[in-house]
Amino acid sequence: MTWFSFRALYRSLSYHLFYTFLNVGSLSIGIAAALVIGIYIRHETSFERWLPGHEEIYLIQTSWDQPGSPYDGIDSATMGGLLDLLKAEFPGITGTRIQYTQGAGTVLRGGIGLSENVSRVDAGFFDVFELPLIAGNAQDALAEPENVAISAGTAQKYFGDLSPLGQSMTITLYNQTRPYRVAAVFEDLPRTTDFQFSMLVRLPEKIHDPAWNFWGASNVLTFVRFPEADAAKAFALRLPDFVARRAQSDLGPDTPRLGLSLLPIDDLHLNPVGDEGGSPRSTVITLGLVGALILAIAIFNYVNLATARAGLRAREVAMRKVLGADRRALLIQFLAEAVAIALLSALAGLVLAIPMLQFLNAATGLLLSFPYLAILPATLALAILVGIASGFYPAIVLARLPAAGTLASAHTPGGGRTGARLREALVIFQFTIAVVLLTGTIVAAAQMRHMRNTDPGYDREQLLVVESFADPALDDSQRTRLVENVRKLPQVLAHTTADNAPGSGLDSADNFPVAGSNGNGVSMRRISIGPNFFQTYGTRLIAGRQFNDRFGADDSAGLDWSTPRNIIISRRALRAMGFVSPQAAIGKTIGGAAPRTIIGVAADMQFFSSRLTLGPTYYLYFSEMPPNPLLALRYNGAESDIAAVIAERWQQTAPQVPYQASTAEQRLRSYYDADTRTFKMLGVTSGLAIFIASIGLWGLASFTTARRMREIGIRKTLGATSGDITQLLVGQFLRPVIVSNLIAWPISYILLRQWLSGFADPIALSPTHFMASSVIIICVAILTISFQSSRASRTNIANILKND
Amino acid sequence: MIRLEEIWRRYLSDDVETTALHAINLHVGVGEFVAVMGPSGCGKSTLLNMLGTIDRPTTGRYYFGDHNLADMDEKSLARFRSEKLGFVFQSFNLIDELTVRENVELGLVYRRQAIADRRTRLMAAMDQVGIAHRADHFPHQLSGGQQQRAAIARAIVSDPQLILADEPTGNLDSANSRQVRDILSALNAAGTTIVMVTHSQDDADIAHRQITMLDGRIVGSTVR
Repeated sequence: MTWFSFRALYRSLSYHLFYTFLNVGSLSIGIAAALVIGIYIRHETSFERWLPGHEEIYLIQTSWDQPGSPYDGIDSATMGGLLDLLKAEFPGITGTRIQYTQGAGTVLRGGIGLSENVSRVDAGFFDVFELPLIAGNAQDALAEPENVAISAGTAQKYFGDLSPLGQSMTITLYNQTRPYRVAAVFEDLPRTTDFQFSMLVRLPEKIHDPAWNFWGASNVLTFVRFPEADAAKAFALRLPDFVARRAQSDLGPDTPRLGLSLLPIDDLHLNPVGDEGGSPRSTVITLGLVGALILAIAIFNYVNLATARAGLRAREVAMRKVLGADRRALLIQFLAEAVAIALLSALAGLVLAIPMLQFLNAATGLLLSFPYLAILPATLALAILVGIASGFYPAIVLARLPAAGTLASAHTPGGGRTGARLREALVIFQFTIAVVLLTGTIVAAAQMRHMRNTDPGYDREQLLVVESFADPALDDSQRTRLVENVRKLPQVLAHTTADNAPGSGLDSADNFPVAGSNGNGVSMRRISIGPNFFQTYGTRLIAGRQFNDRFGADDSAGLDWSTPRNIIISRRALRAMGFVSPQAAIGKTIGGAAPRTIIGVAADMQFFSSRLTLGPTYYLYFSEMPPNPLLALRYNGAESDIAAVIAERWQQTAPQVPYQASTAEQRLRSYYDADTRTFKMLGVTSGLAIFIASIGLWGLASFTTARRMREIGIRKTLGATSGDITQLLVGQFLRPVIVSNLIAWPISYILLRQWLSGFADPIALSPTHFMASSVIIICVAILTISFQSSRASRTNIANILKND
Repeated sequence: MIRLEEIWRRYLSDDVETTALHAINLHVGVGEFVAVMGPSGCGKSTLLNMLGTIDRPTTGRYYFGDHNLADMDEKSLARFRSEKLGFVFQSFNLIDELTVRENVELGLVYRRQAIADRRTRLMAAMDQVGIAHRADHFPHQLSGGQQQRAAIARAIVSDPQLILADEPTGNLDSANSRQVRDILSALNAAGTTIVMVTHSQDDADIAHRQITMLDGRIVGSTVR
């Protein structure tokens, strides 16, 4: 662009300030939204990419093919001994295991236990995960069994400014307390990781747990590293044969049910195992698409305004042609104008993106930072792209305007019809997107509400789950004392223990053969409970009776697996086992070689995400306390009060174990964090889409109305009232908006039905959802248009016709 | 300088064919000042557009010097206009958003060869028509006569060989009309060829030759 064209552009922008403002306004909001969404996507797709050699590292995951069982699909964990077997079969393979301790790692300082994320790994851990080290070296870090590698933050926490290397730490892990020596300090893991360890110690040479080498057990995460992708592929191809030969002893001839596969850790974050939280990948794709669509809406605003106003520039175009501009020169000029406006908008968008990101962080709890350095080139590239996209068609239209005729005419040429059909199509497109997004937001809100309000089968309010009660570092006498201490508290109304509670618990299941059908029978989740379980949770028994200490056969404590006993089953188990009614199940014995007699049927209890299908469950009773017990308390008063009191009692009884507890509501809410986040982002983006589309409609309406002033004047002289005129003008613009709604309904219906199918308990799509969004959009559109129309309709006729 | 041979211009719209120019033959010599007259709709403006290459003949040949412009492509014509032609219109056709100076400068923007003394040229052109004192005003701040003088400055800034004027005084009062005529006469005296379409006998009187058109044909020619 020459200096002259700059000045000419400046003149044109400042002369038509209103349209400049509309264009820059909508483009800058669009660009800001795209930038913020871009920052989010960059964050989500950069997980584990900080790790040196990340593209060479793979997770070995277990896949089960047994539909209907709680153990179906992909499991990210493998049995503990898998890596040993692999090393024997594939000599020279590089790999490591990571065994999370789920907060049960405890560091003792002055007799008080502090909970830490301690993971047990192989000595070769640092060959696979080349964590940047601040002190120590990778070879020696885990060379000795008493070595511990800690994060910089942990070092700061325990040793302050002292040199951490060689310092001693007392750590309780898997119920064993022993001293460790700090041998390495690694940098704190960045936010873009799903790994949570802050301390690493070595796995023992021998682990005396039969499950460690049992195929199908899930004990550890197993990682392998292949410098070449081909080697990884070749390895993956040999896995089925390996599993078939090795797993048969544990799983019998049924081994095809189990498979091993490789997942690059680059994909770990976007392809999480299980579907409790909704897939980050689909969130990323959805938001990326929404960002592009919002940008498209803003671009279409430019196209619409530029082509609608093309007539106004006909004189300029003709004059430039007369003065020797060829079509190419004009194309370049108008494209350059669009790019210049886009650059201006990008500047504004950049400024706008900062508070927008802060808002996003505040609304979603994310901690995204504004990447000042990286964002400049990205914004520049985006601006040029947006400029070309928005300027391309208008440039062609403008450059095509004829020179002859225009110049001899004294009138400002009309030209308002140029591309009128296209503009209507673009408005339809814009509002279709707006309606789809808004309908999506409304349905998502309804689904979220539904999930939060669905009866989980128990009273989730004022229910405290003490998770650290299951800590293996506690012994039975301490547990008993804790219960004694807590039950006497006036705030505690009831208490119970079980190996499952809202938001956590052991995954155990057993197969119950069903008479007359082959296969493994019905796989039922097993929950081991102590006294007062159903009473404390407030769960209804549909049939039969509660467990009772008066009946010896109720108690599972100390029994062999095959010994007959009594159980309570869930409503879903009833259906799965083929009982016609709850009453019909009472007194029946199931379980084949391990006979279990049903004494009661309980309502279904949803302890986990309602995205997961709730399977059949049965309950075993332990008259004292089940193994791995979680303590659940029904309390009155405020949560903070009870938590403080119990924490204090805990400190008196078991100071060496860190106290951990949270309410059932808090724990359940965490399942919906990702959904809530997606929902909020969808809400904000659909708001922006509607806003930008309305800006465009406003501009278009104000321009077209101005062009139709003469027509309005004539109509008024012929007796049209202001109301008639408003109706006429509103009708003209409302038509595309209404058409958009008609197009948006089926699209929304298909997309939302797909989205809802990811939930175990989806709401039913109702016409209300669609009507609600349409009514909102149409109201916004009418408001936008009628502002212009009513002003036009009130204008004095004489003035209009005289000026013409 | 200019030779039109058998120029036809037909418009076709909705199956109705209109003939705007009917086998026009015209010769304009270097340094000549030709006025084209005739009633509305006789084809004057079409002829002028044809000469200015912003409209193309349906058939016929248009020689400018030795070049047959009828064979040239769009790009070459644009270049031809920027180097050889200057236009003046009844409705001035100044760009509203630009100042007088910038409007005049527009006359240089599409010249391919670099113009070293751009500033001097601009000032000279504005001085020549007496609009330099309004250089930083916008068109709507000027009187009609001032606007037309600015438009003439734009036409002459690139030093054209041929000026095409389409009723240059049509929107002006008599005093301003006289001023514009004086400027055109002076330009012609300095060697610029001018073809001017006009309704005004006063305008026509300053030309060397008057051509009269009717229904797309040249029906008369008077040499003064």
